[in-house]
Amino acid sequence: MKETPTTPEIALDKLGAIIGEFKGRKWALIPMLQRVQDEYGYIPEQAIEPVAEAAGLFPSQVYGVVTFYSQFYTAPRGRNLIRVCRGTACHVRGGRKILQAVERELGIRDGETTTDFKYSLETVACLGTCFLAPVMMMNRLYFGRLVPQKVNAVLKQF
Amino acid sequence: MKKLKTAAELARFRRSLARGEDPDKKRVRICMTGCRAYGAHEVTAAFDEEIKRKKLAGEVEIRKTGCHGFCARAPVIAIDPGDVFYQYVSPGDVPEIVGKTVLGGKIIERLVYADPETGRKTPRAGDVPFFKNQVRRVLANCGRIDPKSIEQYVARDGYAAIAKALAEQSPEEVIGAVEKSGLRGRGGAGFPTGVKWKFTRQAKGDTRYIVCNADEGDPGAFMDRAILEGDPHAVLEGMLVAAYAIGARHGFIYVRAEYPIAVEHLGIAIAQAEELGLLGENILGAGFDFSVELKQGAGAFVCGEETALLQSIEGSRGMPRPRPPFPAQSGLDRKPTCINNVETFANVRSIILNGAERYAELGTAGSKGTKIFSLAGKVNNTGLVEVPIGVSMRKVIFDVGGGIPKGRKFKAVQMGGPSGGCVPARHLDMAVDYDTLQSIGAIMGSGGMVVMDENTCMVDIARFFVSFTQSESCGKCAPCRIGTKQMLAVLTRITQGQGREGDVEKLARIADTVKKASLCGLGQTCPNPVLSTIRFFRDEYDAHIRDRRCAAGSCEALVISACQHTCPVGIDVPNYIAFIADGRYREAADLIRERNPFPAICGRICHHPCEVKCRRGELDDPLAIRALKRFAADWYFNNVAEPPEPFPVTRTERVAVVGAGPTGLSCAYHLARLGYRVTVFEALPVAGGMLSVAIPEYRLPSAVIQNEINYVAARGVEIRYNTPINANFTADDLLREGCAAVFIGAGTQRSQRIGIPGEIEGLDGLLYGLSFLRDVKTGKKPKVGQRVGVIGGGNTAIDASRTALRLGAKKADVFYRRSREEMPVSDVEYEDALEEGVEFHFLTSPTRVLNERWRVKGLECIKMKLGEPDAGGRRRPVPIPGTEAPVALDTVILAVGQAPDLSFLPADSKLERTRWETLDVDPNTLATNVEGIFAGGDFVTGPTTVIHAIAAGMRGALAIDKFLKRDKSRVEIRDEKKDITHEVKLAGEEETAEEKQRPAAAKIGAAKRISSFAEVETGFTEQQALEEAKRCLRCDLERR
Repeated sequence: MKETPTTPEIALDKLGAIIGEFKGRKWALIPMLQRVQDEYGYIPEQAIEPVAEAAGLFPSQVYGVVTFYSQFYTAPRGRNLIRVCRGTACHVRGGRKILQAVERELGIRDGETTTDFKYSLETVACLGTCFLAPVMMMNRLYFGRLVPQKVNAVLKQF
Repeated sequence: MKKLKTAAELARFRRSLARGEDPDKKRVRICMTGCRAYGAHEVTAAFDEEIKRKKLAGEVEIRKTGCHGFCARAPVIAIDPGDVFYQYVSPGDVPEIVGKTVLGGKIIERLVYADPETGRKTPRAGDVPFFKNQVRRVLANCGRIDPKSIEQYVARDGYAAIAKALAEQSPEEVIGAVEKSGLRGRGGAGFPTGVKWKFTRQAKGDTRYIVCNADEGDPGAFMDRAILEGDPHAVLEGMLVAAYAIGARHGFIYVRAEYPIAVEHLGIAIAQAEELGLLGENILGAGFDFSVELKQGAGAFVCGEETALLQSIEGSRGMPRPRPPFPAQSGLDRKPTCINNVETFANVRSIILNGAERYAELGTAGSKGTKIFSLAGKVNNTGLVEVPIGVSMRKVIFDVGGGIPKGRKFKAVQMGGPSGGCVPARHLDMAVDYDTLQSIGAIMGSGGMVVMDENTCMVDIARFFVSFTQSESCGKCAPCRIGTKQMLAVLTRITQGQGREGDVEKLARIADTVKKASLCGLGQTCPNPVLSTIRFFRDEYDAHIRDRRCAAGSCEALVISACQHTCPVGIDVPNYIAFIADGRYREAADLIRERNPFPAICGRICHHPCEVKCRRGELDDPLAIRALKRFAADWYFNNVAEPPEPFPVTRTERVAVVGAGPTGLSCAYHLARLGYRVTVFEALPVAGGMLSVAIPEYRLPSAVIQNEINYVAARGVEIRYNTPINANFTADDLLREGCAAVFIGAGTQRSQRIGIPGEIEGLDGLLYGLSFLRDVKTGKKPKVGQRVGVIGGGNTAIDASRTALRLGAKKADVFYRRSREEMPVSDVEYEDALEEGVEFHFLTSPTRVLNERWRVKGLECIKMKLGEPDAGGRRRPVPIPGTEAPVALDTVILAVGQAPDLSFLPADSKLERTRWETLDVDPNTLATNVEGIFAGGDFVTGPTTVIHAIAAGMRGALAIDKFLKRDKSRVEIRDEKKDITHEVKLAGEEETAEEKQRPAAAKIGAAKRISSFAEVETGFTEQQALEEAKRCLRCDLERR
């Protein structure tokens, strides 16, 4: 991705209900954010203030949490999430070449989304499926024992 | 389901379930966790379909279980009764499995595990070495029960431990039992679990919490995932016992969001336990309340650190805080909190059920019980392994793990992920427990074992881990935040070939500071991979910094393609292979000759280290690089009649080379390329050195050698035969007579003696390998008897045995004191010898040569066993006393090694020698202490391989060129890449790569071979060469 995809206008009418689910619950910030992200695919900027108010925190504190954890996104994601494992086992079995192949095929880099919002690419520390190394995940499906030449065939399925 | 109000109701419920767990019931157990990635879903659906179709629902149970452990063979299934293990199952196999095995009790051979070496098939899971060498206690239910069924868990004594604790033990007694069991935290630090529980119970306050740390973040560790997915109730039960013991009413499981199946199964398990009243209020009527909440992580490695994890549960940024106070005193909400790892909790129930003594029977003095390891990386049997603590690393990696794939060499195993260290080959026999691992700079950690082979670069591994910890460092404390960045910067520049002298010391200094001054475990342990790779692989760091070389061929900035980088002379392999694919064979041969003047020789006998590194090997088979080289060279000699032009002479200096072996001729050839006039002085009437006088005709025909020597001579190298350099005419004389420099490459001419009783020179029937082969090659036809014994394990030993058979021996036996694994010969040579009838006696060492009236009549041999590895990682053979036995032989050939013969140097020579009676030279420039005299090859290093000999000659030529130009910079044999456009596209440039095996080079049959000295291998046909060349992935093109 060469340019940032423009953030689409989103309807936040469900936000109130989501926040309501967590009313009065202790230590609810992270589950609440996870729920918001389930709904919208990312944490819209407009959601920060209402969430902060519900959690009794400053927006800066909420923003701090959102940016601390790698699984919270502040921009919309592609319809398909590609996660390339960068764990040790994958590394010694050529995981870096897999990542390079995906980056080359899609023209985006780790953390980016294609302009057509078809794919988002991220790397994860370890998918815990080291016996498949080198491995990548497409949404909830695993693709293991990859070689760079097979990457394209995987991408084409989605 | 009805709530169980008492322990008696639970027991009744269990009895009612017993029928379902009848071991004689027909049942198919399918891994539906890890194996999903290989189509376990489809296999399960096929089973469900088949059961429906054959109306077997009442008779056969299809059980969807957790991980069986043998992930390398996914999808795997097990069939009861009989515990039959099938691997690589596909939906198409299912009707046959149901019909033949489930209903008929018959085994389907093709699905059965076969030993990769012997081919022996073992249908029963318990007989498969991977399972046989394990002790599965914690994983007992994994792969046996459906993790979504609380009934199956209860039926296998599930929740009996908490029932027993509630009914029979006080909380203090529970803590006492856990303390006595010796259980230590399985998350990594190994803190005694019972002590932690005691501290939490003793802490002041009414509210206490239990936390299960399921944030398994160490790359390479996946045992917690398997337990959570395969046996989630065991974790809940462990938490229940802990809660009862410390007096907690509420608990949390903090689980990685990256583990969706674990999250799902845990959620189901919690709901089921609540429904049965095993979680909630007044559990089993004992007045004990406990509830569990699931918290999903959000992707931060540091949250595996306990204080950071607590912050994260509370909804903040997961940043650690200083300890003390420890969570046991002040944790969640500042209340006493006991945090244990998943595997620790899963250990608890067996302690309560079977007693602490029983538990402590396994393990070492300081570390009790079993430990689960996740075996990954460059190992055949990747998967989950549970063994008693204290077994050796070798047992885990080689007996259970099945060793290293593709016959490559083991280099090290990383223990404990980014917090741990590597364990090199020389420590493979060490017991794996918390304390011994620490003594060599590694840690048990959570049990991740990532195996690395010769193709893994240890500097890159250190960089990989530091780049991981650097990006996961939370940034709260400066030593970790800044230190990881600095270490990463230094490591990155080293892997990019921009390292500086002193960088390694600098790294060690930063590492030390980060270790001592960081706030939490992440920072305190993250320098470990750096320190341990420096400790064990300092030479790799130095090679990157000084010579910009990566022995593993994996550091991208230094490597154009791994094959080229690994070739000691740096031949542009991808381009010559592409020339072959294009049909431009002459250009292929010429390209090889830019680095190596002997393509036809190396195309036959090179040990081809390039092929070990070939990336195509990761997909199917490595390219047959050696055979392709031979094809190009043979084509050249068969089709190009006119001799090549001499290299133009552009320099005024004249250089002399002593010895016309591969080293000397390579040096002379490269000097001629550089424009010098060169004369080679050879003592014998033939050139080629060892190639001409020692390598048998059937491996390397004389005509092939002669072609290449003629080629070198035609390029302008003068060879003077029968001109020994000795006391009458010394190297100094050459300098005095106007040579600007002299290179000595005199090889190794002297056979080494063993020094055993009876080894008497002149004994009839006692021969030395080298002179034996020399006599044969020069047509002297030495006599051998009927039964020939050869002592040694190298090329010379094998060549001598095969030659003896060709000379009419009825039997040839090779006696070698180590095992096949340590033998420095290629598989092809070994197998060719076996085919021809050579018999190998490994771990057998001669102790005496027996003779009768000056005739050899046999050998006395002793059996050996492999002991501790030496510094190089080769295990030292140790004799087994009392196993001496005679072997009747009429000829004994000693081939235990060669050494340089320095006797031609005059006694008053100023040339400095080492204490091994070799010349002392600078390893980079090959310069001796006498200005203008250089020496290299086997003559300096002892016997190596032909390509290393050629490389030494090339290095000598480059060094002499620099010397004559007064250039003081280091000599480098650099990889260079030509931009050549090829017509034919190779596999690497196509969209996808279909798997395709390499063709075997044709050979003549073994029976025919041993009747003559005709060349055994006949090489590729043109069609084969064209096809084979197209399999190249062109790794070099990735760097533009």
